[in-house]
Amino acid sequence: MTRGQGILTGAAFWLSLGGVLLAFLWHISIGAKAIPIGTVWDAFTAFRDDEFDHMVVRNFRLPRALFSITVGASLAVAGALMQGVTRNPLADPSILGLTSGATCAVIIGIGWFGLAGTAYVPFFAAIGALAGAALVWGIASIIPGGSTPLTLILAGVAVTAFLGTIQSAAILLNQEVFSGFRVWLTGSMAMGDMDTYLWALPWFGAGLIAALLIARQVTALAMGEEAATGLGVNPARIKIIALLSVTALSAAAVAIAGPLGLVRLVIPHVVRLFIGWDYRLIVPFCAVVGGGYMLVVDTVARIVLAPAEISTGLITVVLGALVFIWLVRARL
Amino acid sequence: MLTIEAAGGNIAVRLPVGAMVIAFVLLLANLAVATLSVTSGSFDLSLGDVWNTLTGTPPTDMAVTIVWEFRIPRLLVAILVGMLLALSGAVLQYVTANPLADPSLVGVSQGAALAVVMAIVVFLGTTGFALPALAFVGGLAAAALIQILTYSRRGDEPLRFILTGIGVAALIGAVISTVLTYGDIDRVMSALTWLAGSLHSVSSSELQWLFVTALVIVTLLIFAVRALSALRFGPELATGLGLQVRLVRALLILLSVGLAAGAVAAVGPLGFVGLVAPHIARRLTRAGVGLQLVLTALTGGLMVSAADLIGRAAFGDVQLPAGIVTAAIGVPVLIIVLFKGHSK
Repeated sequence: MTRGQGILTGAAFWLSLGGVLLAFLWHISIGAKAIPIGTVWDAFTAFRDDEFDHMVVRNFRLPRALFSITVGASLAVAGALMQGVTRNPLADPSILGLTSGATCAVIIGIGWFGLAGTAYVPFFAAIGALAGAALVWGIASIIPGGSTPLTLILAGVAVTAFLGTIQSAAILLNQEVFSGFRVWLTGSMAMGDMDTYLWALPWFGAGLIAALLIARQVTALAMGEEAATGLGVNPARIKIIALLSVTALSAAAVAIAGPLGLVRLVIPHVVRLFIGWDYRLIVPFCAVVGGGYMLVVDTVARIVLAPAEISTGLITVVLGALVFIWLVRARL
Repeated sequence: MLTIEAAGGNIAVRLPVGAMVIAFVLLLANLAVATLSVTSGSFDLSLGDVWNTLTGTPPTDMAVTIVWEFRIPRLLVAILVGMLLALSGAVLQYVTANPLADPSLVGVSQGAALAVVMAIVVFLGTTGFALPALAFVGGLAAAALIQILTYSRRGDEPLRFILTGIGVAALIGAVISTVLTYGDIDRVMSALTWLAGSLHSVSSSELQWLFVTALVIVTLLIFAVRALSALRFGPELATGLGLQVRLVRALLILLSVGLAAGAVAAVGPLGFVGLVAPHIARRLTRAGVGLQLVLTALTGGLMVSAADLIGRAAFGDVQLPAGIVTAAIGVPVLIIVLFKGHSK
């Protein structure tokens, strides 16, 4: 990278960070009672506990904005890693069984074993995500012809559908649980609570740090396994670390917001369009842009049908599916 | 292989004895499940009672109602649905040359499901012939959308068809979720039972509908067997054999959609039958396309009727929809089948 490019990239990074800050303030100011952005700013810089609006901002709106940023960042980074490691532009943890595995495990854990403790939620989600991924990769690799991108995706869809039916069986056999899960199941920022969030945060942090640490090797891997080996990268090791990182990130996202489908397709592709193929840049950019994207989507979800709101997950799936279809048309 | 001694020397007549035997065994298995199915349930009826009812000397009036209005229609619907779905999956797998193609994975079932869910939740529960017709239209519309998005002058068309289908399936799934999440809870619960693929409310109107669909489409399928055999050798050779590959493929996909939509219309999206049944049939024996399709249909019928039997008998008071049972059994079976195929 030349020096000029470096400065340009740095500027772009700070610019998108500024954009996220704006989206953050906008997200908080919008709601049942519109709060001017200036007041939102004051709530953080000059907080007064006798001011009603300041309390609303800190206690109700801030958590939701934090959920959105964290979920968006973790999903975008997970998607980027997955696409880099599998060298498959359509790879997305929600297609490859991680999201549905995590969701299924959480539902069974809470609904059936009654483990309502919030500390368990990310843990269950992580185990489920790992199991889902293992199942998909296992099936794809034993199919005659090996794990091509297509078999990987089809195996993922089959496993997702399978876990989905297990979910509906669990729900049908235990209907009281269902009414509580209805909105969470479509992926929503409204259901999360601060306790779960704090328990999910370490998972998010660990996943993000791991992603940053292996970003260089993932760039090499994205060029092909031979090339990567030639550059002194051990593909198997990087793949395993990447999988663990994606698992931790997906678990954090599912624990906070439920299964959000296909988000991870959108952001990594947009980022790559501007940034190129260096994962040392893609990972941080994905984290920032992903967080901002989710803030905007969540704001839109609350505005469109105000005073009611749409589940954030439904919007992300619609956008993600459109990008997916477009990718299939453009790349194949 | 049967060898017949003839006057001028040996004439070898290729008779797939093995496959015929397996077809017969499958038929027997279907009968066995059918027997269990008509005799088990909350109202006790012995096999003798059922037989007497069927032959016209019922033990009680109650038995007539139960056998003729509940158990027999339900059983026949299960078998027919299984056959249609299995055939649909098999045709799709032949056409796309992909062992994992299945109507419920590529958006056809979702299209049908969306039409029905809208009818139940938004338009206050339509019944009778309207529901199957809606599902049929929904499935075809989804397939048409996928076909339009897939159309392009270059590249691998079956591959794009499947991947576009997955994208469309996700899109339709989001719309279904929206309806289910924000609709009235009581209607949503009834839509959800339908969505899980349940046979608990089938009546003779569904049976008539299925029977007509099966008759029409299976007749069409018989004409398609030659084209399917040619396609098995790959597009180049099929073209060489005088096939208009593109046209034939599109027609066969349409046929596959019709089969799936007919089944989904009757009982909701039953997953995995279309995916798994052709694999099981292929593992049982190798035969020509025609006989293979017969085996696939028998396997599918067996799967769904057995799943329905397990779902309503095995869990006491709770009736588990057949779709959940087929998925719970189907996926492990699929993994075993694929694994066996690999280790050979």
